[in-house]
Amino acid sequence: MTGAIRIRPANAARALAAAVLLLCGRPLHAAEAAVGGPTHGALPMDQQVTRIDALLPEVNVDQPPAGVDPTIFALFVPSDNEMSPARVALGKKLYFDTRLSADGTVACATCHDVSRGFTDQRAVSEGIRDQLGRRNAPTTMNTVVFQSLFLDGRAPTLEAQAKLPIVNPIEMGQPNGAAAAQAIANDADYQRMFQDAYSRLPNYDDIGRAIANFERTLIFLNSPFDQFLAGQTDAISPQAQQGWVLFNGKARCVSCHPLNRSNPIGTDNRFHNIGVAARHQDFEKLARQALAELQKQGGLDAVDRMALSTDMSELGRFLITKNRSDIGAFRTLQLRNIGITGPYMHDGSMQTLWDVMDHYNKGGEANPFLDGGIEPLALSEDEIDAVVALLFSMTDQRFADQNQAMFDKQHTLAQTQRPFRDEALAMRHVFPFEQRVTGQQQ
Amino acid sequence: MIRPTTVAVTSALVAAVVIAVLAGQHRAGAGENVEVKLCDNHTTTTVPGDQPVTRENGEKIAKALMDQWLRANPDSKAWMEEERSKHSIVNPADNSGLVGRGQGATYGQISGDDVATWREETLKLVVDGSTVFHSGDRLGSTIAVSCDMCHPDAANTHPETYPKFQPQLGRVALLRDMINWCIEHPVRGKTLSADDPNMRALEAYITAQRKGAALDYGRR
Amino acid sequence: MRRRAAFKSIETRHHEERDELFRQLHNLDRRTFVKVSLAAAAAVTARGLAHPFSFMPIDVAYGATEPAQGFRIAYVSDAHLYERTINERFVRQLLRAVDDVNGLDPQPDFVLFGGDLAQLGAADELALGAQILKNVKAPVRMMVGEHDWYLDMGEKWRELFGQPTYSFDHKGVHFVVLNSVIEKDFWTERGMTPEQRMHTVAGLDNGIQSRFTVGDEQRAWLQKDLATVPKTTPLIVFSHSPLYKYYRNWNFWTDDADQVQAILKPFNKVTVVHGHTHQLLTNRIGNINFHGMLSTAWPWPYAPQGLPPLTIQMNRPDPFNPADGLGNGEVRVHPDGLVDKVYNLWNRDPIQISSTYMSSGGKKDVPAKPNLVSF
Repeated sequence: MTGAIRIRPANAARALAAAVLLLCGRPLHAAEAAVGGPTHGALPMDQQVTRIDALLPEVNVDQPPAGVDPTIFALFVPSDNEMSPARVALGKKLYFDTRLSADGTVACATCHDVSRGFTDQRAVSEGIRDQLGRRNAPTTMNTVVFQSLFLDGRAPTLEAQAKLPIVNPIEMGQPNGAAAAQAIANDADYQRMFQDAYSRLPNYDDIGRAIANFERTLIFLNSPFDQFLAGQTDAISPQAQQGWVLFNGKARCVSCHPLNRSNPIGTDNRFHNIGVAARHQDFEKLARQALAELQKQGGLDAVDRMALSTDMSELGRFLITKNRSDIGAFRTLQLRNIGITGPYMHDGSMQTLWDVMDHYNKGGEANPFLDGGIEPLALSEDEIDAVVALLFSMTDQRFADQNQAMFDKQHTLAQTQRPFRDEALAMRHVFPFEQRVTGQQQ
Repeated sequence: MIRPTTVAVTSALVAAVVIAVLAGQHRAGAGENVEVKLCDNHTTTTVPGDQPVTRENGEKIAKALMDQWLRANPDSKAWMEEERSKHSIVNPADNSGLVGRGQGATYGQISGDDVATWREETLKLVVDGSTVFHSGDRLGSTIAVSCDMCHPDAANTHPETYPKFQPQLGRVALLRDMINWCIEHPVRGKTLSADDPNMRALEAYITAQRKGAALDYGRR
Repeated sequence: MRRRAAFKSIETRHHEERDELFRQLHNLDRRTFVKVSLAAAAAVTARGLAHPFSFMPIDVAYGATEPAQGFRIAYVSDAHLYERTINERFVRQLLRAVDDVNGLDPQPDFVLFGGDLAQLGAADELALGAQILKNVKAPVRMMVGEHDWYLDMGEKWRELFGQPTYSFDHKGVHFVVLNSVIEKDFWTERGMTPEQRMHTVAGLDNGIQSRFTVGDEQRAWLQKDLATVPKTTPLIVFSHSPLYKYYRNWNFWTDDADQVQAILKPFNKVTVVHGHTHQLLTNRIGNINFHGMLSTAWPWPYAPQGLPPLTIQMNRPDPFNPADGLGNGEVRVHPDGLVDKVYNLWNRDPIQISSTYMSSGGKKDVPAKPNLVSF
């Protein structure tokens, strides 16, 4: 092992993690182990269906959803997949159907669990044969206004995104799309539903379309924060209100997480290297390796595989564009319902929103490709608490209980450990890059 | 009105000269007074001869002289000339063609005086804006950055493109919103309210420098 | 490696470049060939780019065997440091540039600092800069800028870095470093203090200061220095001001440029690398090539007039990214002494202005045009 990895001497635990990473090629996340079993840790599918029916008792597909600008919504609905009750119903059935996976244990809802913020609340996700991936599962709530899907944006539409995990070897593991369609083709219900929805027999492309159609109904934009924006000042606490001022000012969040009627979810749909991946990798070496591999076997499935199963996952957007400026860049995720969609960042390495704030406060992790907008913020503890309070206010009312439980859990954890905190960097006594340059690293 | 910075600069200058003069003179004994004269050869003040020749005292003497001079010359436009000698400023539209026109109570008969007043008052705000634009102190910068560092002569400010939606501002931006964003972030000062005199001056200067550019709101 | 084909369709260009790459690689020893060809071929076909700069598989061919094959130098310029408790952003950005340059593999032969190390010429600013630059792994060559000079007329600079004007030879190229920010005295008649003088010069748009010159004394020195250099020797001149006339109001200008160019003209291959302009800038006057350097502190907009036509502008910087439009870069010197100029822009893909672009008058090897021009 050459000395290619820069490891801060102060952080032995991370050094160990990096060493394990190199040796085994797998991330060592705190307490991340396969759960296994018939549900891989998710709520059983029938119970999830009951929950979704309670959450969204009636969906009127003739109207654009509340909270999203109608013009913008229309832009995101493709012409060959207009919203319809038949399509939504089909997509819903497919979303919870484990038969789509090679061993019949994994459905979309395994990693995008209705009871867990439509994600799995784990650092990285688990697929068939208890295999762990490399990336954190983003929530399927409010995905309609995403300009691209996946953390590296490799799918341009929801339709395209829904298809890929089905054929990924460590997620749902089907050998190809035809096999997936075959798994459900003989089901009479499906035959009827596909006919109603698309006037076709069950097929892989329409599986993607139907699931996308269903996902477009998963709008959860009714939070105390929304009421505050609408003019009800006491909808959120004074602390959260101060957080909103900081969000738009000193904390600089709005630079990448804008929130407005046309884009209500808090993403700029761009890709930024904020220095999370830099903790473990030697980017230049990895990028060279990635280029060589892609030359041998380019194509979307190769990228899909590399993204989830290899060290090169940390290269992020670079795998898609091969632009040097995209090395280690991942898409800005939404802030909606963030309280219940932890752990955070592309690798799930941050357990609490206080960790997230610590990371930003100190200016991320210095690396040659760090986004210039990431700089030390000099936020005080009170200011950090205020922004965190704001973020927790962005959870939809329907998940209020879960949100509160999450807040309590994260708050308790944050009292005992703040692994990403670095006061010297945050308060600008020491600068990012300074330690690398002056040789204070190992 | 004389700008504070001009007073400060001129005072420092005068102070330096005062110190040089006093230091070079034969040291007077106690009881002897020294007369110090301003460079206009007219304004004078008297100082005790045994006062120590320090920078601080020099500045006090200089300030006294300047205050005297200001009282005698309340409408001096020296500050404007000084600013314009440093930074090029686009002149406002020429309204002299309107002299002699107009009728009724509102317009009456437009005179040369009117045209001159409009021009002078407009220029005062614009030139003051140039001063603020070029001064980290007046912008309240805590990191010694002023607008002209990235925008010499207010280049690349594009006032003609506002209002436009700016996601990183979280709303549709007017020129003043962008100014405030710049003050908060690259300049790291305190944001100004919309009717703050410095904000009004900045808007005036930035718009003036782009005279002639067609309005093109929403352009990114 | 020399650039070749004229602009063609992406697919044709790919294949031609890939074929030519393999042709040129056949001279390498087997081990290097295999190492280079895999990575290079992948890069070329995967991206359709002529030059995957950061991975520089082509340059493995350079550095590995013979130095006479050409060499690389890197630059960091226009840091404009304040003392770190006053403004930490500029310090941070210089540190980042040093980190970039230290990460180059293989390392450049030396690193040029392009001037304006300090913002207001203060001793502590210059000392801070000197301390940071001590961490550059490769040898550093210093060049002075007006922000370094006009507080004490170069006293601290000379103490820290020696004489601002000098020349040296390196691998067959004659290098000259000038102090091209000499201004006619405008401060004595106005009774300015040193601080006032420095503040005046520090204002790019401050019209009181004089235009930059190289000056009679230095021109005479240059003439003498070059008298013994054969006309076929490649010349690389480092200068803070551009040594031509771009935009007078912002001192993107050297008043005695014509006279300086006349001294350089007899040489076959002359390249001027200059700072001060904080932007991508390219010009060619006669046989002299001019390249600007990026700043690490802040970008300048393009001037309202006078932009040399050869210049491929950088995409206009985004104010919401403090690092946009900034960076560092390299000067890659070919065996024949002509140079490729690389701009390593932070958060953007690098841009290379190659020697064939220059000598073809901008017709060959044209880099990608910006899609977001300044207006």
